[in-house]
Amino acid sequence: MFEWIRFVLGTGLLCIGAVTFLLEIFGVFKFKYVLNRMHVAAMGDTLGIGASLAGLMILFGFRFVTLKLALVLVFLWCASPVSSHLISRLEYTVDEDLEKFCEMKLQNKER
Amino acid sequence: MSRPIPEEEYGKRAGGAFKLWMRGIRDPYLGNVEVAPGAGAEEDEKRLKEYEAEKDQIIRKVYDIEHNRRYRLFRKFYRAAALVCCLTLIVMLLITVAYLPPVGSADNPAHNEVAAKYIEDGMQDTGAVNIVTGMILDYRAFDTFGESNVLFIATCTVLILMRNDKKKGKGSAEEEEKRDSHYEPKSDKILQTMAMVLVPFIILFGVYVILNGHLSPGGGFSGGAIIGAGLILYLNAFGFEKTERFFTAKTYKWISFSALSFYCIAKSYSFYTGAHHLESGIPLGTPGDILSSGLILPLNICVGLVVACTMYAFFALFRKGGF
Repeated sequence: MFEWIRFVLGTGLLCIGAVTFLLEIFGVFKFKYVLNRMHVAAMGDTLGIGASLAGLMILFGFRFVTLKLALVLVFLWCASPVSSHLISRLEYTVDEDLEKFCEMKLQNKER
Repeated sequence: MSRPIPEEEYGKRAGGAFKLWMRGIRDPYLGNVEVAPGAGAEEDEKRLKEYEAEKDQIIRKVYDIEHNRRYRLFRKFYRAAALVCCLTLIVMLLITVAYLPPVGSADNPAHNEVAAKYIEDGMQDTGAVNIVTGMILDYRAFDTFGESNVLFIATCTVLILMRNDKKKGKGSAEEEEKRDSHYEPKSDKILQTMAMVLVPFIILFGVYVILNGHLSPGGGFSGGAIIGAGLILYLNAFGFEKTERFFTAKTYKWISFSALSFYCIAKSYSFYTGAHHLESGIPLGTPGDILSSGLILPLNICVGLVVACTMYAFFALFRKGGF
């Protein structure tokens, strides 16, 4: 019974991760604007990776490999959002017609 | 009888000029071979407008897909040709695959005595649990030495092309770097905090991969790449002022030089004693210990240092033109 629950949970999470990655690939090629594409890619790198690795951890059970997977997850969750943040900040400083694409309070914008 | 000649005249003679050039006092090519910038063309309002109109017209004519028959034809031909090329390549490769020997067959050309020798005697000969490291740093150490030297030579080439010697004023390295990264986010709090957390672990992991090269997958090349990536992350987060405290061109020079020459001397000794069937006197130790397998551990450290320095030097040279 316990084995069955573990199997269903693990494969379910893996499937969620795979679907997220599929959506990510679709979105990266469908969207045209930088921030949209960045958002999609970052979603794949956090939610997709998180779900896939959580599924794998459940499937592996308590072993040394699980700890390694958890460390990989922590590393990716640290690194990926920061890189997305840098891309968005560069876009914010460089793009001159940002107002075309997103609503923003103009008085706060320092150029 | 030789008589003393004044400095001015001495510098004009061939020998004197060569000596001055050797000492780095005078460069005979400086100011002689560079192309001088030509006088800027005068801007003419009328001609500029004519040129713009012509350009617009050409673009309109060329990209007028509805009425341009040749362009349409070309597009069709382009797609058909691309398809034909791809299909030809695919068919050729598939035919080649059909002629490959079956996977796992005992009489494949890959299954010869060399691989069997490595697998059977590898641990005994080299003392390394990781056979790959035993191969690249013991059986084929000369090849790896060449690879490390290739990295060093690549850095030298980039140094020749990208070096910016100017210290102050217009066109100096700092000015150029500031101009290039004018819009880039600088001293970003989020990046700095994350780098402060991540960089020590990345570098520690790189050191672990290098030191465990003979026990587990990894080794000098991969560990050095990890350390180099950590250094580059640190540089991106905190800028050149922080990294130049511990890593300058001088550091790079000395680390690369000492690592490569240690590799050369150690391996020359090992080759010499091996070729003459002498006792080398380097203990192999028990396989599996951290201090084992003779020369492999120090050589791994050398390769790791060279790779890490090369990665960082490439980044710094492309970014600023000096470090």
